[in-house]
Parts: sequence; structure tokens; C-alpha cells
Amino acid sequence: MWKKLTEKAFPRSVWVYHCNSGACNGCDIEILNVLTPYYDVERFGIRLVASPRHADAILLSGAVTRPTLPLVKKAYQAVPSPKLVFAVGSCAIGGGCWYDTYNVTGGGDKAIPVNYFIPGCPPRPEAIIFGVALALGLVDKKVAPVELKQMEFPVDIYRKAKILESNRVIYQLLGEEDDRLANGRK
Amino acid sequence: MSRKEELLNWLKEKLKGDLLAEDVSREKCLFIDIKKEALIETAQLLLSRGARYQVGVGYDARKSGQGLAMVHTFAFDSDALLVAIRAYTPEDKPEFDSLTPTLPGAGWSEREYIDLLGLHFNNHPNPKRLILSDDWPEGIYPLRQEVPYDLMPPAAEDVAFRLDEAPPGSSIIPFGPFHACLHEPAHFAVYVDGEEIKGCEYRGFMVHRGIEKLAATELTYSEIPFVAERICGICGSVHSVNYAQAVESAAELKISRRAEFIRTVMLEIERLHSHLLWLGVAGHLIGFDTVFMQAWRIREKIMWLAESLTGNRKTYGIVIIGGVRRDINREKAGQIKKILGEVEKDMLALEKAIVKDKAIHRRTRDVGYLSKEKAIEWSLVGPVARARGLAIDARKDHPYAAYDEVKFDVQVADSCDVWGTLVVRVKEVYEAISIINQCLEKLALIPENSPLAVELEGPIPAGRQGLSVVEAPRGEVVHYLLTGDDNRPERWRVRAPTYPNLQAVPDMLLNNRLADFPIIVGSIDPCFSCTDRVVVIDRKSASGKILSQQELENLSRKMRSKS
Repeated sequence: MWKKLTEKAFPRSVWVYHCNSGACNGCDIEILNVLTPYYDVERFGIRLVASPRHADAILLSGAVTRPTLPLVKKAYQAVPSPKLVFAVGSCAIGGGCWYDTYNVTGGGDKAIPVNYFIPGCPPRPEAIIFGVALALGLVDKKVAPVELKQMEFPVDIYRKAKILESNRVIYQLLGEEDDRLANGRK
Repeated sequence: MSRKEELLNWLKEKLKGDLLAEDVSREKCLFIDIKKEALIETAQLLLSRGARYQVGVGYDARKSGQGLAMVHTFAFDSDALLVAIRAYTPEDKPEFDSLTPTLPGAGWSEREYIDLLGLHFNNHPNPKRLILSDDWPEGIYPLRQEVPYDLMPPAAEDVAFRLDEAPPGSSIIPFGPFHACLHEPAHFAVYVDGEEIKGCEYRGFMVHRGIEKLAATELTYSEIPFVAERICGICGSVHSVNYAQAVESAAELKISRRAEFIRTVMLEIERLHSHLLWLGVAGHLIGFDTVFMQAWRIREKIMWLAESLTGNRKTYGIVIIGGVRRDINREKAGQIKKILGEVEKDMLALEKAIVKDKAIHRRTRDVGYLSKEKAIEWSLVGPVARARGLAIDARKDHPYAAYDEVKFDVQVADSCDVWGTLVVRVKEVYEAISIINQCLEKLALIPENSPLAVELEGPIPAGRQGLSVVEAPRGEVVHYLLTGDDNRPERWRVRAPTYPNLQAVPDMLLNNRLADFPIIVGSIDPCFSCTDRVVVIDRKSASGKILSQQELENLSRKMRSKS
């Protein structure tokens, strides 16, 4: 029953908490930007709230630095379940261009389980809205993940190559290769 | 005799044998090496001639056999002159006399190198940890050469940051690290007596990403402008322009005039969007969301403009060493002028609404008061200083890019409070629009086929110093650069404007009401990601404690039962 209720209630009024784990402000201002008149996410019922305890989702921005690592974990624990985590921007996704320096622990997924990744440096406001709307089922996915599979050849080329190789050896042994080639050219 | 030579001769006369070497080859800059014993004396001499302290830079000079080095930079604003004094200390005795008792603004710079370089400063009033996280073990100094950039030592035990003791009779209210009024992680412990703020301690530097170390070990000269842009997502272009200028100064490269104008236009577009952003956030912080929405609505057009000029809304990636990557042609210039016209019109309407609103006046006037004298003492920069009647502006004082050719006024207010910073920023929006228009007119006179970027002739020699300042929307940004081998700088130091301004915040907060805390901190337009490095005001010691939730509940119940 709870699951059904959540599925029904979630897409209409997601309250998001913006957690800056060490971002350069680029992603943060784009997140704030989606609240403003041109983008206005409140029409989807998405609201930015000040406390993780009021939130349904976390927008994580920035590489997780060493001092903020325990804090991000605490903020995540403070969000009541069910919850979603969005990693916004390249730094939150994989740590960005300083993913392995001495004060950076890496991307957001090193600290907390991330559900959705929104790429960009910084992501455009449209991308952020699309990411959140996608998670809520308001829009359809534009691309689907494709699984790559090795194609089967109609002729077994390994067998064929083996036969050719053995034939070549035989012709060589017979000393007829040169003649055959010459004939073939004619 | 130029002002620089005169100053050098005067210093030579005063310091005699303590002055070891000088480098006057760079225009507008003077680099001198002194004995470490004479550091304080030299700083006092410079201050007596009206210098303004900028920043301290420490680096590991063991490669050249000179131990550890400390550079302090000063600016002579009226003479367009930057002075850097450098002193060395042997590795086995990494000690300097602290400048902080003479110059409170140097406090952070010195604490920074206690953390990062293992230096020791005699007589430093508050040698606490500043940059590294609390669980970073003692004895590992990331900026030393033998420490790799990706070293991640295991956490030390007993790690909690020890806050200063609160003044008597006050309790502590913690703000942050994640807090509604702070958009970036930083921790303020505010000491309050009832509603009045009696002091404040700041523990920040949580966005320290080790960029300077990265630049000295992994990146090359031409890669750094793009990483420099990502120091800060708001004033990115400022950092990349400043870095490029520091390299150009060290390599003595002269870039084309067209590139300089394009840089100026981009810097001013950034100022426009940053000031409107601040105006919106300030409105939000005092609970006036209409201003927030309107200011950001106006700002959005500028973001679209930036996108059409550079390809990205933020982090433009337009600046490279020797010039710029994209041109502004006639068609784009027309587009810029049209949008700026709209922005100016909208801005006039918004300004009218702000100036007439009584609520904004009451929330900002006489809030966050800091006198002009204090502002000089803390060496404040940017709109925060200009709101205190100090007419300092790097664009006017140390002209760079194309600012020597455009006409503009340095906007000054004398109310010394948050209202003053608001007035200065709103006026600067109009100044920025006028500067861009002037630049576009002058750009049209320069032939369109003139080169955008100039190539370097051969590698940049090692061991040369470069110093450059750029006026960011928040104030003056200083980049110090020391060239090195392997096609990368040996040391690159960034000083963001929030660095000096944030040090003065505890003074601004003093005796204000707690409800004004967000707007006072907001008034300096803090950018922790740029600053990334903590301040403490020294209060008279007494015991203070943080109330637990249970205690707070008990207290409120007691109060309720009383009433």
C-alpha cells in the first residue's frame, strides 16, 4: 500500500534538498536557476527545501571533499525514505577534473548511493529539470541503454582459415604454390 | 625616475644589506628578495608608504636548494605598482616571524602554510588549523614536493575541531555546514547573548580541492586556464584571465588589442550576471523573494547572451594564454547591444522598486556596520570596501586588459553597511553596461582579421615570477605565479576576494541581531569555493556550550511554564 501511495504522491510534489558537497558554485546557481521565472519548476510541484528532513530527494553537486564526506552521509541519513539522490554535474558524477587530489574523495557515488546522474559542467537548467522529471516519470527516456553483443558470422571463419592454412602448407610442400599463383593470374 | 625605481632606491637605503636581490624587468611589478629577519621591517616600511596588503604565498623551493619560501605581496593603488617580497628559510628550521600582529589581514595566509607547508610562525596569535580537514594527520604537508598530489592518508584519531570558547554569558548557535542561508559548505559558530551576536567563529575550507597542487604536478601551462575557470562557477572567467595575465607577465608576452577587448567584454558580462545574482540572493536572504525572482529573470538574458558568445552558459572556456578562442563579430556585437538595452530597462524598474521599498531599507541600513578605518586594517576589497568609502578598484588602479581605454567611475558609498554594498553593486551594473558598449564601439574600429591569440616563442624560462590582479565582481583577485620546469608552473597561488573580506565578517557581525546574520554574511557575496581556505575572532575566554536538543526542549518548556 505504501508503495502505491508513494508512486502516486511522488511525481506531484517532490521536495528537493540541495546539498553542496564541494562544488564550484556553477551547478548550484544552475540549480537555483530552475526556480526562477523562466524555468519555474514549482509548476511540477518540485520545491527546494532548506532541511534534509523535509526532503524527498537530494540534489548533490560537487566533488565530495574530505571534510564534507561525513556531512554528506549525515544529510543523506536525515532524508526520510523513500528517497532519491541526483548527482548534478561532472564533479558529483565522477569527481570532475580533481577526482583524485589529496582533499577530494571522488564523486557522489563514493559517499552515498546515487540514483540518477545529470551530466554537464555545469548542466543546463533544462537538463536538471529533465533529469528530475525523468526520475518522476513525467517524461519518457529519450535514449535507451543498448547492450552490445558479438555478432555471429554466417560462415565459420576460424574453420575456413584453418583449411586455407593447411592447404597452403600442403601446396608449399608440393612445391606447386608458385605455379598455382601464376595460373591463377592468367 | 619612475615611482618603482624611487621605491626600490628608498628600500635599498633603508634595508641596506638585508635586500638580497631585485627584479624590475616586469612592467608594474617589483619583485625583491630579502633576508627573513627583515620581513617584518620591510612590511612596515611598505605599509608606511601607503601599501595595501594582498596575500602571502608559501612554496617549496628545495629544488633550487633554498629551503622553503614565503612571499608577501603588496599593492600601491595610487601608483599602479605591485610589490612582492620573498624570503627563504632553511628546511631544518622552517620558521618565520609572524606578520599577523602588525597586519591582521595576513592571519589566514600564514595559517594556510602552517597546514600546507609545515611552516612555523613565531608570535602568531592563533595558529589553528585552517585548510586541511580535521582528520588529516599531523606531519604530512601537501604542498611539499615529496608528497604526491593524490595522497590520501588515513584519518587521524581525536579529530573534532575545537572551537574557541564563547564570551561569558553567551550561548553558541551553529550555522552550517549545510544551512539554508549558506549555499556552500562552511561552518559558523555564532555566539549570541539573547538576540545579539557577541562573536563568531568560522570553520570553512570545505571546498578545498587541491587545485594549486594539481597545477604544480599534473597540469601544463595551457591546460590550467580551463581548470582555473572551475575554481569558481560564478567568476570563472576572472580566474582564467588572471592566470593567463600572470603567465603572460612572467613570459613577457604581449597579446593583441582585439583579444584584450574581448576579454574585457567577457569580464563585464560576468560582472553583470554576478551582481544580479547577488541582488537576487540578497533579496531572498532578507525574505523578499520578489526581488530574487525579478533579478534572476533579468539575469537569464545575460546567461543566454554568454551562451551565444562562448558556447556555454557558465565556464566559458574562452581564455587561453596569449589571447582568446572566439571572436565577437559585428553581428554578435549588435546582439549584445540589443540585450544590454533590455537589461538596462528592466534594471531601472527593479532599482526603483528596491529604492522605494521600506522593508529593504530597514533590513539593510546600519546592519553589518564596519568603519572605514577597520576596512583599511582588514584590507578589504571590492564592493565591500567601496561601500566603506574606499575607492579601490583594480580596474582603475592597476589597469589590465582594455580598461585603460574605457571610461568609467569607481562607485563608492559611505554608509559602511549592507545598504552601501547594495547601492554599489546596483550602480556597477550600469557601469558594466556602459563599459561593454564602449568596448564594442572600439572593437569595431580594430580590423576583424587581427589575430585573436599570440603564440609563445619557445618555452617559458623557469624561476620567473608573475603577479597579476583582476577586479572580480566580488573584489580584487590576485594570482601569483612562479614558472617551473616541465612546462608547468612551480607555484600558482590564487587569492580570491572573499579571502580578506571573510576575515572581517566577525567584526561586521558584532552587536548585530541574529536575524541579520544571513544578510551580513551575504553582503560580502561570499564565494567559499574561490576562497577555500577559516577565521576566528578572539573573544575574551569563558566557557560556552552548545545546547543539545534535549536541553533546548527543557529550556523552552521552562520558559513556557513561566509565561
